[in-house]
Amino acid sequence: MSDILSILVSTVVLGSIYGLVALGMTLIYGILRVLDMSQGSMVMVGGFVGWAVMTSAGLSPWLAIVAAFAATFCLGVLTQVVSVQPLIGRRGTDFEMITFITTFAVAMVLSNLALQFFGPRQKNVPELVGGSIHLYESVSLPYQSIVMTAIALALMIGFALFLNRSRYGIAIRAVAQDLDAARLMGVPIKRVFPLVMGFASAIAGVAGVFLATQYFASPTAGDQPLLIALIVVIFGGLGSLQGAIVAAYAIGLIQAAASVYVSTTWALPILYGVIVLVLIFRPQGIAGRSLEARL
Amino acid sequence: MTRRPSPLQATFSPAKVVVSVACLVLAALVPFIYPSTYGTGVLVTMLIFTVLNLSWNFVLGIAGVWNFGQLAMFAVGGYGGGLLIIHASLPPWLAIVAGGVGGTLLAVLLALPTLRLVGIYTSLLTFAAAQVVQLVIQNESSGTTGGALGLPSVEGLFGGLDPLWSARAWYWLVLAVVVVVCAAIALLARSPLGLALRTLRDSAAYGAARGIDPRGHRVLAFAISGFVAGVAGALYTVYNGSISPTVMGLTPMSIYVTMIVIGGLGSITGPIVGTALVTAVQQALIDHPGTQLTVLGVVLIAIVVFMPRGIAFEAGRVRDRVVTWMNEEEEVPAAPASPEGRLVGSRKGT
Repeated sequence: MSDILSILVSTVVLGSIYGLVALGMTLIYGILRVLDMSQGSMVMVGGFVGWAVMTSAGLSPWLAIVAAFAATFCLGVLTQVVSVQPLIGRRGTDFEMITFITTFAVAMVLSNLALQFFGPRQKNVPELVGGSIHLYESVSLPYQSIVMTAIALALMIGFALFLNRSRYGIAIRAVAQDLDAARLMGVPIKRVFPLVMGFASAIAGVAGVFLATQYFASPTAGDQPLLIALIVVIFGGLGSLQGAIVAAYAIGLIQAAASVYVSTTWALPILYGVIVLVLIFRPQGIAGRSLEARL
Repeated sequence: MTRRPSPLQATFSPAKVVVSVACLVLAALVPFIYPSTYGTGVLVTMLIFTVLNLSWNFVLGIAGVWNFGQLAMFAVGGYGGGLLIIHASLPPWLAIVAGGVGGTLLAVLLALPTLRLVGIYTSLLTFAAAQVVQLVIQNESSGTTGGALGLPSVEGLFGGLDPLWSARAWYWLVLAVVVVVCAAIALLARSPLGLALRTLRDSAAYGAARGIDPRGHRVLAFAISGFVAGVAGALYTVYNGSISPTVMGLTPMSIYVTMIVIGGLGSITGPIVGTALVTAVQQALIDHPGTQLTVLGVVLIAIVVFMPRGIAFEAGRVRDRVVTWMNEEEEVPAAPASPEGRLVGSRKGT
């Protein structure tokens, strides 16, 4: 019973954080056809911004979240302008593959800049809020987890509302459905693309603050979230937003269960094993919409 | 009407043979020009990675299969070779070949599940599979692979020689491997098999309609490049006397991809040029280790944006311009495009 309860608690926390990172990745893929490998670095940068605001400057954690959002938004826009925009519509190269490589290069640059400025040591980041609720036997639910889950859910819902209701959200969805038609209807592509990468990165940055309060801020803090976000977006179906969110909690559940029943070190290999099976038998993921025709 | 040259003739045309032999003689003399054990060691490591990059470029650039799991073949070749030397006391020479066989087996195993996939999904599957291989090696607790610490004290080659001569012997051995692999890949790329692979890369539907079996060719491309990667891995283990899971992962992968893309994805000489250039950059920045990857990342983006076909292709274009300029007085029509240029071909636009 206490096993199951603790699995559920960590499923909700892990799933919410992974959901934030995966949401950005799947959105970028759905709209730009870019598998953005720099999202992990945005998580890392978010963690350092959180550390700088909370520990170095000693300011409120809420300000840290806002600062991380703003900083990674700008970084995401910059990444798009530098490493993706010049390659759009270029003949003779395979756009998806070449942007996979350039965003990878951005990740390389960012994590090594962080290594130079902050050093390899892990930085402790204080909790957003202290205290916890006692649930059952040895299981307790920290307020921190509740707050993080709430913010993550709020961001996801806010993002869904933004996409469905706002002018720019509708423009973004139009671009995802049909680039040429959207362009003909007067959607400013050159403004929409950077905006998408900016928002996606900003969400990853907020996830980075959360992860840093759970673990540490360090230059390699983005690697594992990136790998897990990749797993999540494949599982959910690349380009599908609902799929990514459902998959994030499913992957969180698998990881939590594997950590409890097998061991923490084998959780990641098990996840990869699952994803290899998913790719073999159902490459379109759980969303059920086959994207292969669009490739 | 001129006859199309045979693959053998195209690969070993007189002019190319002269240039290649000259380069080779120069390369073979390098250990004498620069008589330092450390320097020669750096070059040996560079050449081992050249072998790996040649194999990776074959499947990624020439066959156009987005395989980002090549380091798994490298690691399996390395660990396989090392374990055979330790437990079966196989001579290192044989172990290097056995590493290649191990790489082939894994490559075929990896190719099979990708047969249904295209594009980015192939890269994700191969990448995930490579992660599984790395994590299994790292977490294996029975002591076979040595876990995160790696496989120590593998018996090496040339143990009887003094350090400088041993380094030189290694240099020539790996140089010979590079030459053989490069010549084999150049021949393969121009052979009917290479033509089929490039056709499938540029237009899978057209290739299939012309009777080229996409699945068989994909497995074959994986197997060939897996063998070479396995050999590179075993060479690495025997040369260093050890191997650890850190040969895989995001950072090594980003460095090798940088080497291949800077040199020119899909060209024959690209990986050689790229590996040499990146190694030179790394050595130049050796006193500032933190800046190495930052500089490489910036260079990679710049090359992709401004020189998308890589340095080898641009060099070929410059050479063509010189040839055209020299031929102008003889009123010869424009010189043929460089072989690298033709090899890259036109990928489908996006």
